Amino acid sequence: MNRPHIIRRHYFTRSLILLGFALYIGYLSRSDSLHYYIAPDMITWITYSTIPLTIMSLSLAYQALFHKEDKLCDCERPLSQSSFKNISMYGLFLFPLLLGILLPDQALGSMAAAKKGMTLGSPVLSSVQLSSMFKAPDKYNTEFAEIAKIIYQQQVIEVNPEVYSEIIGAIELFKDQFVGKEIKISGFVYEDHSLKQNHEFILGRFLVQCCTADANPFGVLITSNQSIASLQKDSWIEVQGVLRTEIRKGKEIIAISADQITQIPRPDTPYVYPNGDAIKGLYDAGYNIKSGTD
Amino acid sequence: MKKLTSTSLLPILVPVSFAIACVTVVLPSVAKQINTDYIHVFRTSFLGILLEALPFVLVGAILSSLLHLYVSEEKLGKWIPKNPVIGILFACLLGLIFPVCECGMIPLVRRLIQKGMPLYIAIVFILSGPILNPVVYAATYMAFRLYPEMVYARMGLAFFVSASIGFIIYMTWHSNPLKLSLSRVDNTSAHTAEHRNGGRWNSIFVHAADEVFEMGKYLIIGCLLTAGIQSFVARESLTAIGAGSVSSYVFMMSFAFVLSLCSTSDAFVASTFLHSFSGGSLLAFLVLGPMLDFKNMLMLLSVFKTKFVFYLAFLICAVVFIGSVLTGGIFL
Repeated sequence: MNRPHIIRRHYFTRSLILLGFALYIGYLSRSDSLHYYIAPDMITWITYSTIPLTIMSLSLAYQALFHKEDKLCDCERPLSQSSFKNISMYGLFLFPLLLGILLPDQALGSMAAAKKGMTLGSPVLSSVQLSSMFKAPDKYNTEFAEIAKIIYQQQVIEVNPEVYSEIIGAIELFKDQFVGKEIKISGFVYEDHSLKQNHEFILGRFLVQCCTADANPFGVLITSNQSIASLQKDSWIEVQGVLRTEIRKGKEIIAISADQITQIPRPDTPYVYPNGDAIKGLYDAGYNIKSGTD
Repeated sequence: MKKLTSTSLLPILVPVSFAIACVTVVLPSVAKQINTDYIHVFRTSFLGILLEALPFVLVGAILSSLLHLYVSEEKLGKWIPKNPVIGILFACLLGLIFPVCECGMIPLVRRLIQKGMPLYIAIVFILSGPILNPVVYAATYMAFRLYPEMVYARMGLAFFVSASIGFIIYMTWHSNPLKLSLSRVDNTSAHTAEHRNGGRWNSIFVHAADEVFEMGKYLIIGCLLTAGIQSFVARESLTAIGAGSVSSYVFMMSFAFVLSLCSTSDAFVASTFLHSFSGGSLLAFLVLGPMLDFKNMLMLLSVFKTKFVFYLAFLICAVVFIGSVLTGGIFL
């Protein structure tokens, strides 16, 4: 058993660490940077977790400062007597805090995409393409058909971040119909050795389901007649061009012949998230939905 | 006393200050050589996993603390069925009521065992809880919308695996699985009552905080390892291993172990492998991951004896492998 003043010190350290976590999360939330790490659905949970963290921290501080000596004991959960163990344990808890505070928030980019493996086309579609193989109900395909119908009516298809992966999915599913359509799309520049130097690159995005651990890089092949050597990897651009199809590695994929490439500032939410109700998402994004017109 | 602690710190302080001095001299030139991209990818993945797990750990810690202070052994004993078969079924359904992620599950379960819940029921709860719950059902359904067999196969296999492991443990393991330092804790109920003079609310949160620190160190180590693998090892070099039919099962299972994804998001990652892997091996990924991974194995080691954790890990791998090969061969 440890002496009361040592227990006080432990409680106080722990109180400070928990308070540190609460403050750090509060700071991330205030500066709107939680979305670098987790999907919007989870953000509420994280923000609310500052409340129990703060209460825990206050309870520990109260215990450390005002508890009578004879009531303080660690017999329920003995604290380690070795100072090395204690220092390394608290160091472990300080590590994420220091890492978080000392380095700037940065979104995942080309480097992570290369490690995780860039997919061409929409990742939400990989299960759809198998539909013929699995003879599953058609509900999902109907949704894509619905999206395709809506975006087909536009003069220029604007790939809105809210429904990004779904729009790409719809275009990919009905790629032959979309050949020749005008499209406007934004993302980061991703290059690898399989692409033609100076005339091709992939416009990439990360699809995040829950947190950055499951971030899934995907993108569309962009080709240009002019040299694109001036584009830096990971820079954010907007491409306007014409949709076409191309055979790569034995698979027919969609590609865009770029007419216009503009540098844009990195968007506030660099990742895209799967949209549960894509039709409503399109509507919110300003697409006019004329029902009944084909 | 004070004097003694400061002198005992001295042997640490000297090398630490030396190290700090060295680092400040060397750092600027080293920093230029390190590819900062790696650090940023690591940082983003690490904080992402940690922040995602945090609410679940807090919920688990607070539930466990409430259980500790408000539910007596006798009360719990009355709720738990005596018959092992009914007991196992009961534990499988517990996940429906407590939709807690695996990180929140472990502190809760330790408390339940200390309160006298039979080991096999607790294990069934740990294994089935992260999969057999409505949140995970919905997430899996979303990811495999066109392939609903997968959802039912996942739920069914998770039920089968946890029930049979519960049964095996019921038959084979009779000694106390908890670490020695933890198993003698619960003769202190009377003692705890005394502590309550600080206010009930206060003690709930002090206990919860203890729990957070106990679990947190393993969680952080797990997150560090997972983020390290995710940011330094290319996924392509991993997928190259899983070309054969048996090796694809082995690969998917070790992949699930290494990635340590949350059970609500792993279905989505699995669905991106649909074109390159068989349904059975994806099923193995989906069932093994929430039951056993880096992060929760470290957390299990904080509660259970090492021997027991390895026995359990072996059982999980074996049963999941057999189950998913059979299900994959027959249904998928």
